[in-house]
Amino acid sequence: MSTELDVFLFGIMTYAIIMNLGVSLYGVFRRPSITKKIIALTIFSDSANVLAIIVGYRGWPNPWHSPIPPILLNRHPTPQYISEFAKVAVDPLPQALVLTAVVIGLAVTVFLVFLALQLYRLYGTVDVRKVRRLRG
Amino acid sequence: MLSMETLTYGILALLGVISLLGTYLAIIEKDLVKAVIFSALQSTAYAFIFYILMAPDIVLVYVPVAVGLYPAIVLFLIKKTGRLDGDEP
Amino acid sequence: MKGWKHVIAITSLVVSTSVLALATAIGGLGYILPTPGVRDLAYWYLVTVLSPSNKLFTAMSPEAVTSIVWDYRGLDTLFETSVFFLAIIGSIALMRGIKIVPERLRNYSSGMSPIVKTVTRITAGMIIAVAASIALHGHLTPGGGFQGGATAAVAPLLLMVVFSIYFIIKSGITEERMLALRTAGLVGIVFTAFSACIIAASLGTQAYVFQNQPKSTAAVGLPASIMGSLTSGTLIFFNLFEFFAVAAGFTIVFLLLSIPENIVKQALRGVESEH
Repeated sequence: MSTELDVFLFGIMTYAIIMNLGVSLYGVFRRPSITKKIIALTIFSDSANVLAIIVGYRGWPNPWHSPIPPILLNRHPTPQYISEFAKVAVDPLPQALVLTAVVIGLAVTVFLVFLALQLYRLYGTVDVRKVRRLRG
Repeated sequence: MLSMETLTYGILALLGVISLLGTYLAIIEKDLVKAVIFSALQSTAYAFIFYILMAPDIVLVYVPVAVGLYPAIVLFLIKKTGRLDGDEP
Repeated sequence: MKGWKHVIAITSLVVSTSVLALATAIGGLGYILPTPGVRDLAYWYLVTVLSPSNKLFTAMSPEAVTSIVWDYRGLDTLFETSVFFLAIIGSIALMRGIKIVPERLRNYSSGMSPIVKTVTRITAGMIIAVAASIALHGHLTPGGGFQGGATAAVAPLLLMVVFSIYFIIKSGITEERMLALRTAGLVGIVFTAFSACIIAASLGTQAYVFQNQPKSTAAVGLPASIMGSLTSGTLIFFNLFEFFAVAAGFTIVFLLLSIPENIVKQALRGVESEH
């Protein structure tokens, strides 16, 4: 019984993140303002990052002790300490990938913001429908 | 008797639903300043999810970026280009 | 009528999420709860990240994430940093021809009340101190160059909002200086990546690019600890330089974004009338 409840609750979070992916894609495709598209795009990339972290999570060793972050607390570990650590620590690789992706994502968002500003200076609007009408 | 594990997953589910609400409101809202605030709500939920999923490194980079820098940049853009998600054709 | 539409949409989203989760819980969509085990690759990282007995593979840092970012997968991060570099350069290129002249910004130098300004002065100093701490302890505790740099970039943003862009330029945070600091950080990253090679060349042996600790086939490397305190070889230098690169890069962007729009338009018109 307890396991089914765990799967249900964990599933709610996972599917909520997947729904976020869908809703933000709707925002990217259907909203007219470029500012709103940028907001939706960052939500999309953040949701993808959360999914990557979920992949790197591990199940609890027992119901009262959670996994620990992949950081040793002992500066001079014995081999036994290391093997105990590796039994309870979460996967560090997705965290390393997401860590750079967040910062690079912000830099790319900044570039998009400058492109939108340039569009506004040239056309006087950031509404893509109006920009399309002004083309000719 | 609920175990600690089930309780943690319950908090995660709650945060997921909060982020879903924040995303929906941020996408639908016509006023872009309010949309940024809803997006910051969604980012806060994500930051807690990262914390509970045992990723302190990501929390340290995600909190200044997604709650501090990113709304500031988009607010600069909104200040310069106008506040409404132009819905009139 | 319009309010009801949104209530129905939100409810349907939440209900469909719950139905999918319920279907998973009774076994209809496979098993999504994370397993108690961890992948072999992750296990290998966790076992070797700080093991003084395993000289061949260890990164000599208790922080597995920073070790992967700058040692095991250092080349990935080097190219990520170059993407970051190109994105910032692209932003600067879009704003080319627009000089930040302090005299023309004097009209925009109002700022907020003295109480807010005093509090912000103290807070900005504290933010910089925390950011430096996060970056310099990145090989021991959660943190590193990316985290510290992103935190430090909050301080100029705060000063810009509370004081004004005129104050920022006058206090010496100019675009040119930030660009120089950022370039210094990037040069430092490249230099650190080649440091083992340089040491090996001066000793007459060979070493790998991005080498941190001595390996069996290349017996040179940076020291894992200096005077008893763990520095993890190249990791502390990478974190320090990445801290400068990220913080200065974002500061440039904020300086460019906070130029008032009519000054930009004047500059654009000037550029157009020249040819």
